[in-house]
Amino acid sequence: MARRFEYAQAEEIHDVFVRHEVRYLFIGKSGAILLGYPDTTQDADLFLEKTPTNNAAVARALRELGFALTDDQVAEIERGKDFVQLKNGPFDLDLVFAPDGIESFEQAWRRRVDVEGFPVCHPDDIIRSKEAAGRVKDREVLPRLRSFRDYWLARNR
Amino acid sequence: MATLVEEARLQEWHAEFDAAARRPLRARFRYAFIHTYKPVLDDAPYRSFDTTAAYREWCARQLPPWLGYGPAV
Repeated sequence: MARRFEYAQAEEIHDVFVRHEVRYLFIGKSGAILLGYPDTTQDADLFLEKTPTNNAAVARALRELGFALTDDQVAEIERGKDFVQLKNGPFDLDLVFAPDGIESFEQAWRRRVDVEGFPVCHPDDIIRSKEAAGRVKDREVLPRLRSFRDYWLARNR
Repeated sequence: MATLVEEARLQEWHAEFDAAARRPLRARFRYAFIHTYKPVLDDAPYRSFDTTAAYREWCARQLPPWLGYGPAV
């Protein structure tokens, strides 16, 4: 059964993450879309601070959101992973704890953009992570994404 | 000629950016998030990787190349 990520679910993520004090940012194409980039994507990518406290908060929040995590999976997330792919909940979610091309969560957090309450990586960070990932699908999207970054910066001066 | 093509492409993109900027966030979500089946990738409910490099390697080895998750050569 196809599950499309919807605005209400982004709101739910935000509400539950705030309640559990999860430090996160939207990243990747989903982050760019929040900033206004017109394109399509299949899932939401979240950049999460990788600390024991945040890892534990993430695991608790995911269960509250309806992700069917086993105790072993919760323990894994709490111990710390760089990448977790979830397709066992109300929508697909990629948890990215160490994105390519970004030095630290703290630096990305300082550069974040607030989009109607949603914390989103700065377009420069989204581009940097795609450049560093160097996948075929990233290379294809980069010229248009760079053009959007310039457009977005001009509008938000 | 290449410059004209490039310029036309930029104008087209900017028109798309302008149109998206006029849409409320809810509408941008509705147009942007889709779901199609991705072989292998969608076949497990949960995967985790100790390092981002390990995830990239897994994608390059296990996913069909046409999905685009492999390294650009």
